[in-house]
Amino acid sequence: MPSPDVLLRPLQLAGLVLLLALEPATAASVEVLALGSDGQPLPETVVFLESPGVKAAAKPLQGVEIVQVERRFVPRVTVVTAGTAVTFPNRDTVRHHVYSFSPIKPFDLKLYAGTPANPVAFDRPGIAVLGCNIHDHMIAWVVVVDTPHFAIAGASGALRLDNVPPGSYRLRSWHAGLPPGTPAADTALVVPAAGVRAQVKLALTAAAL
Amino acid sequence: MTSLRHWWSRRLSSRIFALFFGLLLTVQLAVLAVVDSSVGQNARKLLAAELITGQSVWEELLKQRAGTLTLAASVLAQDFGFREAVNSNDTNTLRSALANHGDRVKATVTAMLGPNLSLLAVAEGQDEGAARALQPLIPGLAQSGNALAVVGGLPYQLVMVPVRSPLLTGYVVMGFAFDRALLQDMKRVSSLDVALLVRPLAGAEQAPLSTLAAADTTALRALPDGSAEITLANGPHLMRHVTLADGSSGRLQVVLLRAVADAVAAYRPLQTTLAALTLAALALAFFVSLVTARRVTTPLRSLVRASERLGRGDYSQALDHTQREDEIGELARSFDRMRLNIASNEDAIRRLAYWDPLTGLPNRAQFRDRVQAALAAAATQGTPVAVVMLDLDRFKHVNDVLGYAFGDRLLKGVAGRLAVHDLGEGAVVARLSGDEFALLLPGSDAVQAMVVAEGVAEVFHLPLKLDDHTVDVAAGFGVACFPEHAGDVDTLINHAEVAMYAAKRKTRMAMVYDPATDAASALTLSLLTELRHALEHNELRLFLQPKIALNGPRAGALVGAEALVRWQHPQRGMVPPMEFIPFAEQTGFVRRLTLWMLEATAREWPKLRALGLERVSVNLSTRDLLDQELPAKLQALLQRHPMPPQALCLEITESAIMDEPQRAEATLNTLSAAGFKLSIDDFGTGYSSLAYLKRLPVDELKIDKSFVMAMEKDEDDAKIVRSTIDLAHNLGLTVVAEGVENAAVMARLVALDCDEGQGYHMSRPLPASEMGAFAARWARRTQAEAVAA
Repeated sequence: MPSPDVLLRPLQLAGLVLLLALEPATAASVEVLALGSDGQPLPETVVFLESPGVKAAAKPLQGVEIVQVERRFVPRVTVVTAGTAVTFPNRDTVRHHVYSFSPIKPFDLKLYAGTPANPVAFDRPGIAVLGCNIHDHMIAWVVVVDTPHFAIAGASGALRLDNVPPGSYRLRSWHAGLPPGTPAADTALVVPAAGVRAQVKLALTAAAL
Repeated sequence: MTSLRHWWSRRLSSRIFALFFGLLLTVQLAVLAVVDSSVGQNARKLLAAELITGQSVWEELLKQRAGTLTLAASVLAQDFGFREAVNSNDTNTLRSALANHGDRVKATVTAMLGPNLSLLAVAEGQDEGAARALQPLIPGLAQSGNALAVVGGLPYQLVMVPVRSPLLTGYVVMGFAFDRALLQDMKRVSSLDVALLVRPLAGAEQAPLSTLAAADTTALRALPDGSAEITLANGPHLMRHVTLADGSSGRLQVVLLRAVADAVAAYRPLQTTLAALTLAALALAFFVSLVTARRVTTPLRSLVRASERLGRGDYSQALDHTQREDEIGELARSFDRMRLNIASNEDAIRRLAYWDPLTGLPNRAQFRDRVQAALAAAATQGTPVAVVMLDLDRFKHVNDVLGYAFGDRLLKGVAGRLAVHDLGEGAVVARLSGDEFALLLPGSDAVQAMVVAEGVAEVFHLPLKLDDHTVDVAAGFGVACFPEHAGDVDTLINHAEVAMYAAKRKTRMAMVYDPATDAASALTLSLLTELRHALEHNELRLFLQPKIALNGPRAGALVGAEALVRWQHPQRGMVPPMEFIPFAEQTGFVRRLTLWMLEATAREWPKLRALGLERVSVNLSTRDLLDQELPAKLQALLQRHPMPPQALCLEITESAIMDEPQRAEATLNTLSAAGFKLSIDDFGTGYSSLAYLKRLPVDELKIDKSFVMAMEKDEDDAKIVRSTIDLAHNLGLTVVAEGVENAAVMARLVALDCDEGQGYHMSRPLPASEMGAFAARWARRTQAEAVAA
């Protein structure tokens, strides 16, 4: 049972501090540092840039897998572009029943071993939570985005987006530790040609995870 | 009540029994009471502890139930289909699923909350109001996961579980109304009755849910938490109130109860056993105390009976229980010793009472009994009975001369002869007293009895040889017969005695009772009383017979007198001395007569002396002589009256002296030393030796009148008188002649040198008052005779 404190806490986004830098006009780099509310780096934070301009450039990814190994989903958090078909190879000796009730893609892979024949295509952008019906602790998230510019923060909380055409974007950030149903934080970001550095702060701490 | 006290005080056995039994009963009742009370207390303590345990059990039960319900709810919440329904975002589907899954776990209320605890939906068909009533409880429920609460006035156990799909999607709340089944479970586990009291904040108190009967249930009230006692239909109960919930929707209390009787019931077997033991002990005590009481009192009763037998004089039966070693045995043994001692004492007493120790013959008492028995037998058979009485002659003399020891041996010898002599069938020989023996001859008449008497007399004629002495034994016999002479035993013996005395008087060997001779003796029977009366009522008179000097300087003068007693009987007139003096001598009354004479004489003395008398003579009887106190009595007399001892001459008959010569001699010596004159009366009739007479301090001899009266005609008698006078004078005694009846005798006596004379010639005995007149008359007569001479 989750802590009621966590549950009851209202969704908060800390103020977003943007650090602007000049980058070449055609392809700039965006470096983002994800921090928790305590100012400490927040690993595994999903960050992506949205704009109507880059929407068309987003193509479905190929060969995306979420593997079940040792009764865990690996990776825990997967970011895909809309339309990407994801396969769920089972590398355990036990069977798994992978499902999601998330509105962007409810699906249900009945108990299976090995790799199911049909991969699951995530067509609509949003966040899908995946579980295994017989292993309650197995949880994975699939973040479906409409942009080719996305990344997941490493252990230091930092990430880098390359080849971003300069322009105005919505900087979105999300973390699996946020309360269920919390949409990705949304902030404006202008990407100059010289690139830019940005910081996102989410209402959770790495320590609490 | 009285009879009870009587019973109590009367019977030792009852008291022993009551003591034993009552004591035990009291102790047992006390024990039972204490046990009962402590059982009650213990039971309550135990119950209180049990109720506390019950509370824990109850709480544990609720916790377990909460766990079970939570688990059930969790399983439900994890049901894939349910989660699909929850995530379907279709309210109707959700409500339907809630109803379906709630029913699976028999939840009363099922509701779905969002992740933020907002109410999303309640189960289809369920009361929205109840679900809404849940809302205030939810924050608390979110904390603990389960809770007890009053919902819509009913007691509920609520659980809340999260729904994850796979992340937290919301919560399912399930409410389970309490039902009797749960309470019954509780009762089964804990043996306690359980009631739930619900007091909703709004609205009336609900009827409590309980395992008790309806009537008992309604008696329960909400109370502060803790133990209390309540009396229900089936007795007192201990109860414990525990508040389960006291929240915004109302208060819920559980009441755990148990009948005190249940706890006490655990002790019932103990108490029953104890009661059974008590009964057994009482029964045992009953018998033991009965037996003990009987063991004590039975021998006591037998001792009582034995002592009653002893009281009746039955000593033949030995006592029981003498073998016992306890106090009763001791008592019985000492009783038995007492019985034997009394028996032997009684034997000795009976021997003494009925046997003569000297001769071994029956004594007077036994003889009397035997005569009595013989008379009774004779009366029925119409046969005669004879009693022969015999008395040895001169036995006293033998005793005095040869000693008492010899006398006793003589008596034994006589008894031996009587005993061996064949007296006939059923005859009894007895020694009545001293030398007096008696024979009982049943079936004999007077003639046969005389024959027997003569036969015995014949035997007596053979001399009895004792040591060196040969004793001639002779006896006088008296015979009396039944029914001829007497109808009863005492009269018969008495008449035989009378006959014997008559024989002795008449110096005959044996005589049959003659009523004629006994007339006088019959008269004497009443004499003693009359004589005593006479003495006390002055019927006795002092008479004096003058004594005249025959020789000497006062010859012819009145010089003395002999005092005599006469009885002036109010009816019979003047009673002659012969009719009462011998009787008085026999009975000993003569001593009082003598004292009276002495007193009267001494009183008269001053007048007599004035008439010229030198002394007055008073007769002393044998009994007077044997009276050791006589000298003292005489001394006292002379101190009261002005009479010198020389003026009193005491006359003693020869036979009086010879009955008890030694004592008589001692008395006479004392009297002589005191100055009294002594005279031997009736001298010449007895057997006293002169040698003996010589030793006596006698002053005077009195010649018996038989000699004096006869001397006129019989020369032998005259010789006796003369020689007696000579003899007396030679011994230095004066001589008095009595029976001087005429002048010739008197003249002869004067010639014989007799000192004094008395007789009808001078005067018959005169009343004392007439002495003065006589003295004057005698003086004139003397003068006239002198003138005539």
